[in-house]
Amino acid sequence: MKNKIKVYRAMHDLTQEALANDLGVTRQTILAIEKGKYDPSLELAFRMARYFNVTIEDIFEYGL
Amino acid sequence: MKRNTFYIIFGLVVLAEVLAFWLSVELLTPLIIQVAFILGVAILYLARRKIEDVIDDERSVLITQKAAMRTLEIFWVVFFTISLGSAAWGLGAPMIPPHWRPEPPETLNLGFLGRLGVMQMALLGLMILLYVGFRMYYARQYGEWEDDEE
Repeated sequence: MKNKIKVYRAMHDLTQEALANDLGVTRQTILAIEKGKYDPSLELAFRMARYFNVTIEDIFEYGL
Repeated sequence: MKRNTFYIIFGLVVLAEVLAFWLSVELLTPLIIQVAFILGVAILYLARRKIEDVIDDERSVLITQKAAMRTLEIFWVVFFTISLGSAAWGLGAPMIPPHWRPEPPETLNLGFLGRLGVMQMALLGLMILLYVGFRMYYARQYGEWEDDEE
């Protein structure tokens, strides 16, 4: 699954650590999601979307 | 509590456990190490809950679950195999066929309970090794040690 977290993070001038703290996860989790090593749960994906005030589809793209 | 403080407490508890084990052997009182072990685990459990940094999230839970599952899948086969062998031995079959059996070397006479304890510790050691191995494998798969420039 592709995602644009890095882009949204840059747009909001956030470090991985800051985003992780705000979402209640570890920095390694944000890094793993950004690098495509880990697909977040639906709940975390929703929390991310709400955090950036966008839809899930704006951040995540499911590619076959 | 910071995570490093927890690691210091962890080290101290391990040292205390080693001391308690030595005392147990010296005084021939197994209760000392048994009580000390339960206390040690309780202290570590309580200390872990006091850590303020985020240490568990959904990714770490997933890694732990997968590692535990794989460990269990292998461990029960090993445990069952050894148990079957022990049962066969207990029912009269020799563990090693008589003509293969080497001359017994001079060893410590541990007795039945001692041998059982050592075997249980070896199995526990195997379980820990399997778990640590699988945990490292899945941690690597889910990007635990990746690093990135910010």
